[in-house]
Amino acid sequence: MSARKKTWARSAFSEMSLSVSPATTEATPVKRSRTSSYTTTTTRVSRSQTGKSTPTAKPLVEEDSVDLTVLSDKEEDSQGPPPEVKENWMDSFAPTTSEDLAVHPKKIAELRDWLRHCVAVGKKFPAQMCLLTGPTGAGKTATLRVLAKEFGYQVQEWINPVDCEVVNALGDQVSGNAYVGSHLEAFKSFLLRASRYKSLLESQNKRLLLVEDFPNVLLDEKQDVNFEELLDEYSSYGKSPLVFIVADSKSRGLNISYRLFPDQLKAKHRIEHISFNAIASTIMQKSMKAFCSVMQQPQNKALYKLPSSSVVDSIVVGAQGDVRNALINLHLSSLKGVANMPTKKLDISVASKGRKKKATQSTLKSIGRDESITLMHALGRVLNPKFNDQKMLLHSPEELTESFSTEPRNFVNFVHANYLPHFKDIEEVVSAIDDLGLADALLNEYREGAVSVTGLNIAIRGVMLANSAPVSGWMPVKGPKRINIKSLATLAEQKLVGVGYAGISRTHYATEYSSFVKSIASRLSEVNSSQSMELN
Amino acid sequence: MALWVDKYRPRELAKLDFHKDQADNLRNLCKQSDFPHLMFYGPSGAGKKTRIMCLLREMYGAGVERLRSETMTFTTPSNRKIEVMTVSSNYHLEVNPSDAGMYDRTVVIDLIKQVAQTHQIEINGQREFKVIVISEGDELTKDAQHALRRTMEKYVATCRIIISVNSTSRIIPAIRSRCLGIRVAAPNETEIVSILQSTCKREGLTLPMELAKRVVDKSERNLRRALLMLEASKVAKAPFTANQEIPDLDWQVFLRETASQIISEQTPGKLEKIRERLYELLTQGVPPNLIFRGLVEQLVNNCDMSIKAKTLEFAAEYEHRMQSGAKHIFHLEAFVAQFMNIYKKFLSELVMTDDF
Repeated sequence: MSARKKTWARSAFSEMSLSVSPATTEATPVKRSRTSSYTTTTTRVSRSQTGKSTPTAKPLVEEDSVDLTVLSDKEEDSQGPPPEVKENWMDSFAPTTSEDLAVHPKKIAELRDWLRHCVAVGKKFPAQMCLLTGPTGAGKTATLRVLAKEFGYQVQEWINPVDCEVVNALGDQVSGNAYVGSHLEAFKSFLLRASRYKSLLESQNKRLLLVEDFPNVLLDEKQDVNFEELLDEYSSYGKSPLVFIVADSKSRGLNISYRLFPDQLKAKHRIEHISFNAIASTIMQKSMKAFCSVMQQPQNKALYKLPSSSVVDSIVVGAQGDVRNALINLHLSSLKGVANMPTKKLDISVASKGRKKKATQSTLKSIGRDESITLMHALGRVLNPKFNDQKMLLHSPEELTESFSTEPRNFVNFVHANYLPHFKDIEEVVSAIDDLGLADALLNEYREGAVSVTGLNIAIRGVMLANSAPVSGWMPVKGPKRINIKSLATLAEQKLVGVGYAGISRTHYATEYSSFVKSIASRLSEVNSSQSMELN
Repeated sequence: MALWVDKYRPRELAKLDFHKDQADNLRNLCKQSDFPHLMFYGPSGAGKKTRIMCLLREMYGAGVERLRSETMTFTTPSNRKIEVMTVSSNYHLEVNPSDAGMYDRTVVIDLIKQVAQTHQIEINGQREFKVIVISEGDELTKDAQHALRRTMEKYVATCRIIISVNSTSRIIPAIRSRCLGIRVAAPNETEIVSILQSTCKREGLTLPMELAKRVVDKSERNLRRALLMLEASKVAKAPFTANQEIPDLDWQVFLRETASQIISEQTPGKLEKIRERLYELLTQGVPPNLIFRGLVEQLVNNCDMSIKAKTLEFAAEYEHRMQSGAKHIFHLEAFVAQFMNIYKKFLSELVMTDDF
């Protein structure tokens, strides 16, 4: 750890001296690879890709001398025995071959096909583009890294630089004329240069650009930045494949793949879109086993004990297809000297082989991914309430309420728009709509915050309990209806009413004037047209 | 070509057809140099706006009748732009803030500020204040009403406010106490009949007495509605006959059909269809309280005596809830569901007693 810190400090100094020296005044973006070893493009490259950590004890004097010697020094070190404490324990679990990946083989094959295609047309059209999307922890980055290694690509990743002031010393001018470099410019130059020039110290000749960390300017709607232009430029000048990785997000505003990559843009640049799914629990189980065997390796044995199978199972359930999260939980629960994790029982009916069977699953009590459910899921639970043997609701209304307490109004509106087809008897509808109405009145009470949550609870509980025998079947979900009162008067009708029309409110016009004025106006136009006919 | 309603609208206080004593009082009010904020209240179509315009003419002369309409744009604190249509002359400005919905507060404040900050350029022979006419003041939110109260006091030197409302019950007491209330009652039937007759005479038509009576019945003592109805029936059939058809308000017809559908079938599926119809009415701009009232009237007229009381009880409950809620459709639907339920029970009991 200490070595790393020193590297940081030292490199910062070296950058300063660089910017002062006239030969390299240009500000270069700071790039770092995933494994957190540090490189500056112009001067130094550490061998991060080998996965070996930097040795802890190293004399400072030597590091300050010429870089190449340091490098050779490192290489010598790397051949020695592995150190006891890993800098990043996750590295020891990282997949190295495509067989190790917990991703569905189809998706791996898709990405491999794309890379093969890149290699094939590499001479003629080097600037291929690809977009990987999927939920967090679905193995998007891991798959890319493993396959890039397989094809001999060196991954160069864009990391948003930290704002640092660049001192602009021109001739005899006093410094103090500092400015902060534009992220967009830095991003542009990364795209065009990193793809073109190879590092002096890398043996691999092929490079692959990775953008996972989108510059904020691109995401800001107010900024007039054209991402499309950037890609246009890249597709004509770029020299290596470019991969974008975007994690799915629930809200549209945050969804990068939706906002930055519209369909016509994807079509224009032939961007290959591969969308990953959350990892299936069977595959996850398998990889958990693999992790456990890694833990049993001699160099790790000192650190880990073997977790019980129930703990592993509950980790898999709690992670909900997020392998990274599962690994973190596994790591924590199998460290030596830590008591067993308490688990919580879950009653979930698991559908298997066409019929439902009851299985008790458990999840970790203290940790585990926050179980957030989507709107559609929750709607299903409210509209098709399930009861267990004791006539108790399977999904408690309180939990549903909790997950939607930030937007109660929206949820109640959705329930209202969709509840009717699920009811058989008007008597049950009465009690459901009665509670929905009560909820609406409560939600409108803005002075007391807790009231809205109570309202939501009443609505959810009311609809769930009212429905004794829900109608099942395919029913498309409808969105709540918005009422936009349009002014319905045509121009002729407005003219007929005269200048006073502007003073009549839309509702008033609709109730008092509309129907009569319409008939009078239509009659008038008839008369007018017949008159003009006669004139002709 | 203007509608009869506008063509034969009295322009001066002296020429008003009914409530003549009140007109005299208003004339006396204008003789003084100053006058307080006014609040005209009374049912729809009773002649509130007519009276206001007459009053303005009495004060400022014929200049108030040169009207122009313009669209004013206001920016809310949340940077939303709202457009409100206004009708104005050199002396007054008429606005209907209810079109701005929940942003009416901004409209009220900004509008009054704009008007009140400019003084009349030419003072001799004129009043030194402008008049702002707010129509449908009872549609103002509480927020806007409180804002109005403050601005009323602040700019009393340069502007007067005339509010026209249907019912004072929805106006906060603070505003009620700051205004001189003037009640404009709906004209009685003989008054409407005579107005209809004189209108027809001026148009060169003869109006059979029976037809006039029927129009009055149908218009529910709403003079504007009566005149529009008469003109629409004239358009339909030129020389009047005693028993010709009188056009209805289309939303009332629609509501009547809805009510008969409710009575024909009581299932959740039907309720969904009814909901669609109610949505249609709401998007047309028919206010929910009118829908509610019309629906209740139709249903009560068409059901058995034994469930009438129950229906009204539920109607009262849900109407009250609708006022405190935000989604009107919830409560309309709840009422329909309740009615369906009790009606269905009534029917099944009927079948059972028939069996014995």
